[in-house]
Amino acid sequence: MPLTFAKIDQTVLDTLRPAPKSYWLVVLLVFAGLLAGAACWAYQILTGLGVAGMNNPVHWGTYLINFVFWVGIAHSGTLISAILHLFRAGWRNPIARAAETMTVFAVCTAGLFPFIHLGRVWMVYYMLPFPNQRTLWPNFQSPLVFDVVAISTYLIVSSLFWYTGMLPDLAIIRDRAEGMRKKIFTVLSLGWTGEHEQWRHYVRIYLFFAALATPLVISVHSVVSWDFALGVVPGWHTTIFAPYFVAGAIHSGLAMVLTLMIPLRKIFHYEEIITVRVLEQVAKTIIFTGLIVAYAYGTEFFIAWYSHNTVEIEVFLWRAAGHYSVGFWIMVTCNTVAPLLFFFKKIRTSIKWLFVISIVVNIGMWFERFVIIVTSVGRDFLPHAWGVYAPTLVEFGIMIGSFCLFFFLYLLFVKHLPSVSMTEMKETLEKGGSHGG
Amino acid sequence: MNRRTFLKIAGLSSFSLASGCSDPQKNLFSLVEHPDDMVTGQASWYATTCRECPAGCGVLARNREGRVVKLEGNPKHPVNRGALCMRGQAALQGVYHPARLRAPMLREGTRWRETSFAEAEALVKERIGNAAAQGPRRIRMLTETVGGTLMSLFRSTLHGWRSEKPVVFEPFAYESLRAANEIVFGIDGLFSYRMEEADVLVSFGADFLETWLSPVEYARKFKEMHAFSEKGKGVFFSVGAYQSLTCANADLWIGCHPGGEAAVALGLVREALEAGRGGHLRDFIRSTILQTAREYTPAHVTRVAGVEPERYQSLVRRLLAADRPLVLGTGSGDCGENALQTNVAANLLNFILDPDLRRIDFDRRYRVETAGRRSDIIAFFQKAKEERDEVLLLYQVNPVYHMPAEGAVNRAFARKGPFKVSFSAFMDETAEKADLVFPVQLPLESWDDYAGASGFISLQQPAMGSLTDAPCLGDLFLRLGAGNSDQPPDYRSYLAERHMRRGTISSEKRWLLALRDGGVEAPVTSRERSQLVPYKVMDDFHTLAEPNDGALVFAAAPSIRFFDGRGANRPWLAEIPDPITKVAWQTPVLVHPDTLRQNGLAQGDIVKLQSRQASLEAMIYEADSVRPNLLLMSIGQGHTAMGRYAEGEGQNPLKLLPSGADPRHGGAFFSIDPVTIHSAGLRRELAHTDGSRIQHGRKIALTLSTEELDAGRPVEREGLTMWDFPLTLPLPEGYDSHRDFYPPHEHAGYRWSMTVDLDRCIGCGACAAACYAENNLGVVGEQEIINGREMSWLRVERYHDPSAMEKIIFLPMLCQHCDNAPCESVCPVYAPHHNKEGLNNQIYNRCIGTRFCAQNCPYKVRRFNWYTWQWPKPLNLQLNPDVTVRSKGVMEKCSFCIQRIKDAHNTAKNENRPIADGEVIPACVQTCPTGALVFGNLMDPNSRVRNLAEDRRAYQVMGYLNTKPAVIYLKKVVQAV
Repeated sequence: MPLTFAKIDQTVLDTLRPAPKSYWLVVLLVFAGLLAGAACWAYQILTGLGVAGMNNPVHWGTYLINFVFWVGIAHSGTLISAILHLFRAGWRNPIARAAETMTVFAVCTAGLFPFIHLGRVWMVYYMLPFPNQRTLWPNFQSPLVFDVVAISTYLIVSSLFWYTGMLPDLAIIRDRAEGMRKKIFTVLSLGWTGEHEQWRHYVRIYLFFAALATPLVISVHSVVSWDFALGVVPGWHTTIFAPYFVAGAIHSGLAMVLTLMIPLRKIFHYEEIITVRVLEQVAKTIIFTGLIVAYAYGTEFFIAWYSHNTVEIEVFLWRAAGHYSVGFWIMVTCNTVAPLLFFFKKIRTSIKWLFVISIVVNIGMWFERFVIIVTSVGRDFLPHAWGVYAPTLVEFGIMIGSFCLFFFLYLLFVKHLPSVSMTEMKETLEKGGSHGG
Repeated sequence: MNRRTFLKIAGLSSFSLASGCSDPQKNLFSLVEHPDDMVTGQASWYATTCRECPAGCGVLARNREGRVVKLEGNPKHPVNRGALCMRGQAALQGVYHPARLRAPMLREGTRWRETSFAEAEALVKERIGNAAAQGPRRIRMLTETVGGTLMSLFRSTLHGWRSEKPVVFEPFAYESLRAANEIVFGIDGLFSYRMEEADVLVSFGADFLETWLSPVEYARKFKEMHAFSEKGKGVFFSVGAYQSLTCANADLWIGCHPGGEAAVALGLVREALEAGRGGHLRDFIRSTILQTAREYTPAHVTRVAGVEPERYQSLVRRLLAADRPLVLGTGSGDCGENALQTNVAANLLNFILDPDLRRIDFDRRYRVETAGRRSDIIAFFQKAKEERDEVLLLYQVNPVYHMPAEGAVNRAFARKGPFKVSFSAFMDETAEKADLVFPVQLPLESWDDYAGASGFISLQQPAMGSLTDAPCLGDLFLRLGAGNSDQPPDYRSYLAERHMRRGTISSEKRWLLALRDGGVEAPVTSRERSQLVPYKVMDDFHTLAEPNDGALVFAAAPSIRFFDGRGANRPWLAEIPDPITKVAWQTPVLVHPDTLRQNGLAQGDIVKLQSRQASLEAMIYEADSVRPNLLLMSIGQGHTAMGRYAEGEGQNPLKLLPSGADPRHGGAFFSIDPVTIHSAGLRRELAHTDGSRIQHGRKIALTLSTEELDAGRPVEREGLTMWDFPLTLPLPEGYDSHRDFYPPHEHAGYRWSMTVDLDRCIGCGACAAACYAENNLGVVGEQEIINGREMSWLRVERYHDPSAMEKIIFLPMLCQHCDNAPCESVCPVYAPHHNKEGLNNQIYNRCIGTRFCAQNCPYKVRRFNWYTWQWPKPLNLQLNPDVTVRSKGVMEKCSFCIQRIKDAHNTAKNENRPIADGEVIPACVQTCPTGALVFGNLMDPNSRVRNLAEDRRAYQVMGYLNTKPAVIYLKKVVQAV
C-alpha cells in the first residue's frame, strides 16, 4: 500500500497509544540506572573526587571524555535538521525529529558532566558573569568559559528549533486527543490552527532557525576542541583540532542516529517512513565523516614527525604502542576501518550490519576521546611526572547513569511526542522535498 | 507569674541552653597576662638540639601560641649551620604523634593496664629499692647516645644503687671504623674530617650524605669541596657494591663485589707506596705494609674485587696526583665481611698520602663513639641470664627491632625474672616486651645538653609545653635516686650547676646567652696519637675474605629517611620517597636487571628471600644501582609495633641478618651470604612517584662538562626550539614582540625568583620535608601514592642517564612561578592569579576544581585535593597557623612561602625600608644543607638570585614553551675522571 497522508498520521499517532507494561518496565529499569548514577555522584560530592580514578598527571578522566562524547552525539541532530534542510536533502525528513530530539537530550546529558567533573560543584556559579561586591568576573581567556557560552547557546537554539518544528504535529495530536491530553496539547501547540498566515510564518522561522543553527554545529564542537587545543599539552596543542572534532562529532552523531532509528523503526513499524534508503544515506555520510577523521589521525602523526619535537613524537608513539595502545587501535579500527564496509551496497542496506557498525563507531568515538584526553597528559613534558589512569567503579556508575538518563528521556519522548514529523513527511510525499522547497 | 517574669525566665533559659551546648574549643581567648615570649600571632623561637640521630644538629623551634610548628636549623650551630635534614624536619611529628603514649602502661599478665605517672614512679622506685637492697649490680641500664650531663646523672644514680654505668646502644656504632682507628692511630674513637679542604675524596661506602656520623655537616663540607667554584671542583670517587645517595653524587662509582672494597683500598696502598709515597714512614713499617700489599697489583685487584680496570686506573691516577686527598672508610652499615680491613687500609692511605693528617681532626670526636660495640650489647643481654639482675632500664632503645635474630635479646625479654622498664614514648617492639612502659618527655619538651661532636655543647630546652604529663627523664632519675647525695631539685638546675661547676658556663648571664644561641663552646682534650705498629696493622689482612663474586649477597643499608628505624613512624618520612628509588611507604628489595632476568623475575614481583636463619618477603625494585650479586634493602621499616604509620608498613631487612658480632671488631653484620631468591607468586604495585627514570632527551636536568666551561661561552644561535630557545627572564626585559601575544607584566618593586644549582643539589629531600612542615601538606599514604596523588609541592626528580644508568642527576621541581603561566590563562574563575610581585598565587577560596591548570602545567607541580586530608589528633597541632589548610576539591601548589614574603613586607614596612636581599627565605631554601637553593628579588640588580641568573650555567626547564619560569636552574658541572 503506498504511503498516504492518512497513513502517515495513523502510523505516527499509533505510537502515542497507551504503552504496554513492558514499556514501563524498561522505563523503570532505566530510571533505576539513572538513580544509581546519581547516587555515585552524591557519594563523590560527599567524599571527594578521589573516588574517581584521576590523578597527577591525568587530572581529566571519564567525566570529560563523556562530556565530549555526548556533545559529539548532539551534533548530528542539528546537522540533519538544519544543514541538510538548507541543502534540501529530502531524505533527512523522516529522521529529522528523532535526530533532533537526540541532540537536545544529548546536550542535556553532556551538560551535566562538567558539573560532575568539578572539585567543588557547589561553587560552580563562580563561572557565571554575575555582578558581585568583589567585582570578580570569569576569565574570558579560559576555554572553559567559552564552553559555558557555547553549550548553553547550543542547548537553547536546538531546543527552540526542535519545539518550533513540532508545532503543527502537536496541533494534530491536540485535534485527535480527549480529556487531559487535549488540555496539555492545547497549551503545547500554542494555538496552532493551520491558517495560511501561520504556515507562512512557520516556514520562515524554521528556515531562520536552520540558518542560525548551522554555524552552531560548527562552532560548538570547535569550542569544545579548544578546551584542548588552547592548552600547551603535546597532542592537544594543534590547529587541526576544531575541524577534527567537528568531523568526529558528526561521525559519532550519525552513528548514534542509526543506533536509535533502527530499533525505533522496528518497534513502531516505521519501515515505510524511515526507509532503507534513508538509512543508506546516513551510512554514506558516515563513510565521508569516517574518512575525514582518518585524515585527521594521519595528519596528527605526520605533524608530530615533521615537527622534530621530541615531546610531540613521544606522545604519539606512546598512543600507538604504549600503555593505552589497545584503546588507540580500537579507535582507529572502529572509526576509520569499520565504516569503510559501507562501501558495499549489501552491507549498507542490511539493517543488521547497519546496526552493528553504528554501535562499533559509537564505541570507537568514545575511545577517541579517551585517547585524546588521557594519553596526552599522561606523557607530557616532564618524564618524572608521567602516569597512567584507569576509571573506577564510581566513574562507571556515573557513565551508566548518563546513558540511562539519555535513554530515560528518549523513551519518554517516543511514547509521548511524535517521533517522526508528520508535517515534513507529508511535504516529502507532496513535493519530494522539504518545506519551502 | 506575670508576663515580664515569664519572658525573663524564658530568655535566660534559652540563652543558657544556647551557650551551655556550644563547643568551648571554638573560642579563642587572648591572654590578659601573657608570658613575655608569647604574643598571639607572633612566633617565638627557641634554640635547642635535634635528637633524631646522634649527630646532634642545632635547631630553632618556631613556637606559635604555645606549640612548636616548625623546626629549622640553627645558623649559629657549628654542626649544621642552619640546615636540617628531612629527619630533623620530621622530629615534630614524633612529638605530635597520635600513637604517643599519654600514660604509663603496666603489664598484667598478657594485658596492659594504663596507670598513673605517680603510681608508675612509685612502682619503679619500689622495685629498684628492693633490687638495690639485695646486692650489687642488680640494676642495669641500656640507653641511646645521650649527652654528658644525662650520662653523668645515670652513672651517679646507678652508682647509688651499687650498679654499673649504663651501656649505650646504637644500631650503627661504627665498630669497624673505631677498631681501625685504634689500630692505625691508637685511639678508639670517631674523628671528624676536614672534607671541605680535600681536592680528591675517596669513600669506601661511607654514606656521609645520609646517615654517616653527621650527615648535614658533611653534606655542607662535601659541597664546599665538590661544588663548582672559582677554585675549581673537587673529585669524589665512591667504591662499593651499591649506589647509596652519597655514591650517586660521586664523579665515578667504582662498583665492586660486596666485600671487595678492602682489596681496592689495599691496592691503592700498594700503588701509593710503589709510587714512592709514604717516605715519612720508617723503612720497616713501609716494608711490612708493602709485604702484605704487594700482591694487590691492579690486575689482582680488578679480578678479586670485580672492578673495571679503567675505573680503577683513573682512581689510582687521580688519588696519587691529588694535593689534598682524603679517604673515608665504610658506611654506617658495612656491606661485606672486610669492613675492618677496608677501614684500616683507608686510614693507612690517609697516613701515606698525607703525612701530617691535616684533614683528620683528631680532637673533634663524635659522641656516638660512646656507644657500645654490638658485642658489648650482646654481652649485656647475656649477662641478664648469668647475673641476677632485678631491674632492667631501657631508654630510647629498641633492641628487639634491631636485633631480631639475637638469641640473647630474645631470651632476656622472654625471662620472667627482671622487672623491665622501657622509657619510651611509643609502644615499640621493645616496649611491648617490657613490664612497664614509662613514657618520658621528648627532647623538644625537656632540658638537656648534647654534644654531637666535641668542641661545642649544644643545649636543649623545652621549646613548648608538655603534651602529656610524662616527666623529664632527668627529673625522674633525680627523684628515683634521691637520698643518694645532695642533688639539685630538678634536672634543669642539675644541668646548669654541672656546667657552672665544670666551667663551661661561667655565670647566669652566660647561661642565658648559651640558651639563646643554642649552646656553648667547650674545650677539647687533645690526645696524642700512638705510633704505628705495623704488625698489628697488617695482622687483619691475613684473614681478608675473598670477595663474593658468585652467590647472592643480601645487605641492609641505612636509610636517609628512617635512619635505623627510629623515625619510621613519622608520616612525612614515609611519604617522601627514597631519593634513589623514588619509592614511598614500601621497602622494596633492589635487584640488578641481570639477576632478575636470570631468575625470571620482574619489578613488582613479591619474592621470598631466604638466608641461613630466616626468610623475608619483599617486593622487587629493578635497580641498576646495585651489583648483580647483591640484593639490597634499606633499614627502618617493617615494624611490628610502634603504632600508626610504622606498624605493618614496609619490611624489616634486619630479620634476615646473622646474629652475633664480628669477632675482630665487635660490630654487627649488615650483610649475609648466601641468600636465595624465589618468586612468591604474587605481584604488587610499587608506590613510586616517578613516571620515567630517564629524561628522554629533553631540556630538564642539564649538565655541563668542565671542558665546556673552560672553553668559554660558545656563540649560540637563538631560535624557538627546545635547545636553542634563549633564557628569558620573567621580567619586562624578557618581552619579545615576535614571541609574545600579551604585554609583559609590570612588577611593583619585587619579582621573586629562585635559582637552583644542580651542581650543589645532592637529592637528599630535606627541602621537600621542610615544605611539608611549613605548608600543611597532606599525607596521602601508600595506596594514594600508587594512585599518583602525592601532595608534595616540591619534589626532587631523579633522572638516570640512559647511556650510563649509574649517572644520576637530581632536580628539585616546584612551581616555576612563570611570567607567562599556562595555568593562569585556562582557569575560568581566576583562581591562579599573577600578583604584582610576579608570584603565581593560587586562591583556594576561588578555586572550583576544574583542574585545567594542572593539565596545562608543563611542570606538573600543581596538586589537587582529591580528599580532605586528615591530621589525626594531635598531629593537627603541628599545622602552621599562617597557612590555610586546604579541603577537598581545590588545587594547591608551591606559593614561594608567600606567608614569609608577607611577613618580610610587614617588617620592612614598619622599618620604612625595602626588603633586603636574603631577608625572605622560603622553607626549602632555609633547610638546604648544601645551599643549592637561592631566593630573592630578580629586579634588584645586586641580588644573589639576579647574579646567579646571569651565570653562564643558567637555564630554564622546558624554557622553549615561553613560560618564562622564575625558577632558574644552574647546570650541574660534570667532569671526566
